[in-house]
Amino acid sequence: MTTDSTSSGTPEDINPHLELDITKKRRQIDIVKKFREEKLFAFGIIVVFLSIFLAFFGPSIAPIDPTLATGDVSFPPPPLADWPGLLWQVMTTDMENPPHWFGTDSSGLDIFSRTIAAPRTDMSIALLAALVSLVVGTVLGLLAGYYKNIWTEILMRTSDLMQAFPVFITAMILVALSGRNTANIIFALGLVYTPIFIRLTRAEVLSQKTRGYVEAARAVGNREWVVAFRHVLPNSVVPSLIQTSTTIGFAILLTAGLSFVGAGVRPPTPEWGLMIAQGSNNIVHGEWWESVFPGIAISLTVFGYATVGHGLEEDYR
Amino acid sequence: MIWRFVVRRVLIAILQLVGISLVVFFLIRLLPADPVARLVGFNATQVAYDQAEAALGLNKSVIQQLGDYLGIMSTAKYDGIAQGYLGDSWVTGSPISEEIGRFLPVTLELITYSLLIAFLIAVPVGITSAMRPDGVGAKITFFWGLFAGSQPEFWWGLMFVFFFFTWWWEQFGFFLAPAPLGRINPMLIEPAVITGFILVDSILSLNFEAFVDAAWHLMLPVFTLVFIVSGPIIKMIRQNMVRVLRSDFILYARSCGLPSRSVSLYALRAAMAPAMTLIGIFYGFLLGGAVPIEVIFALGGLGEYSIRSILSFDYPAIQGTVLIIAMVSLLVYLTIDILHAFLDPRITF
Repeated sequence: MTTDSTSSGTPEDINPHLELDITKKRRQIDIVKKFREEKLFAFGIIVVFLSIFLAFFGPSIAPIDPTLATGDVSFPPPPLADWPGLLWQVMTTDMENPPHWFGTDSSGLDIFSRTIAAPRTDMSIALLAALVSLVVGTVLGLLAGYYKNIWTEILMRTSDLMQAFPVFITAMILVALSGRNTANIIFALGLVYTPIFIRLTRAEVLSQKTRGYVEAARAVGNREWVVAFRHVLPNSVVPSLIQTSTTIGFAILLTAGLSFVGAGVRPPTPEWGLMIAQGSNNIVHGEWWESVFPGIAISLTVFGYATVGHGLEEDYR
Repeated sequence: MIWRFVVRRVLIAILQLVGISLVVFFLIRLLPADPVARLVGFNATQVAYDQAEAALGLNKSVIQQLGDYLGIMSTAKYDGIAQGYLGDSWVTGSPISEEIGRFLPVTLELITYSLLIAFLIAVPVGITSAMRPDGVGAKITFFWGLFAGSQPEFWWGLMFVFFFFTWWWEQFGFFLAPAPLGRINPMLIEPAVITGFILVDSILSLNFEAFVDAAWHLMLPVFTLVFIVSGPIIKMIRQNMVRVLRSDFILYARSCGLPSRSVSLYALRAAMAPAMTLIGIFYGFLLGGAVPIEVIFALGGLGEYSIRSILSFDYPAIQGTVLIIAMVSLLVYLTIDILHAFLDPRITF
């Protein structure tokens, strides 16, 4: 939250009264301190890093190819008592058939490998969709808040209209009708979540616009769009950045939900929602492991992002 | 006074609905989907393809299709929205409004009961935890508010099915919950459709066996939704209670020597309004968001109808579903706003 200095001098040089405005206590968030002191927040941060790590390296560290069927069909996971022994075996000997920690599904795919390979799909969709809506929403929100004309009015009404749409069904329409692939899911989710960011940024810009530093930046001869993008934008972006964490969580849920109802990525892509859906046919027969493990992964991941979002929001307020 | 507000809101809502139907109409036509090929198959001859295209009206210009859909300057044989007709499904051939009329009450019933129960649980829990902000209860509700609001509801639904149906049967030899295969045991006589709410219908037709069985079938889906939505609602009520309890009028009530029970009742009234708004938002959200839950329990609700229409590129059905969902949510928002005015005397229209 710093105010940019311009080439022609800082705003302080021009109007000493502005100093009050600028040196007003900055709302800073000390993440390291928060990590040490708050257990839930620390949990969230760990989840965030782990999910991003798995998004990059998950498929490569999976012990068995996540899309390659093994001969073991519908194998239950080994009993917990056997785990230390198996772990020892895996570490000391070079096993030809590594154990199926989480069992296998009805096509013989290894659940453990698929669960840790899935973030490649889930996390890249969620992160990119959140990024798209953050960038597009912030820029549009800045324009809508900074300039008041017929175009921004139309923009806001359109955004209102988009928020009146049922999220899940809109996402289903967008994905199913444009083709069920990762890029289309990212595009659909990005579109669905953009209005939130437009609204957040616009509200912040409207309150920032009247502040002294904006007038000062204008007074030193900056062009309007420079004032908007270099001075107002950095000061208005924080609420949106905080919202991003929550949005990533929701995007994971929506991605999984879409594949669960058959409007998401196609099998055999390792994806948590798809794995739960495939296991849901067998769960009433007692094959619980197919759905349980990917579900725990979603549950913990989304909860992690929610705690980070909540923690940041709490500090910002 | 309130009527002027209602009329204005209804007019805005109508404008919004027009906007929504236009956006949906153009959106589905902009996306690169080929409903004709989906209907006749990819190996169909050109003649068959052209015939199907003409039958669906897709050979006309987009503007003309819009006219047919809206029923303004229509060249089609059927009515449009202006005549109060949503069109016929491309897949089943029956009128959309009839189909939605059959599927919508199922969803409405599910989410109405869920939100009602969640609310009835959330109020006492929220108040208790707000009255003792440092207690264990407050910590648990805080955690619950954060946790439940960020959970995959379809996975929990599946887990409940596994636990209460499969596992329970294996352990104890009887079913605590029915198989997730619909709203009622197919061996029973279904009550005649009066309101579409199966519990209400079975009472109205004095079919108590069906009532008990339908309630049993609704138990798990409602429980799943309550499990998920209760978190954020409790959190909302707690936050508002804490805020209201710090306000001047509560201080005044306390200094007048009122017992803490009546003070908390005053506070509750003031804290209720934002919670109602949240419930309204949830209602609108769940209309289209309870889709996976409906799928798991095979309830046959609007969510399943929308999946079917979307995956088969049934444009009139998609348009109808989105329009109806938007209409119901706008209606709910309006109701909530009016209730809001009754709860909060500071609001004037």
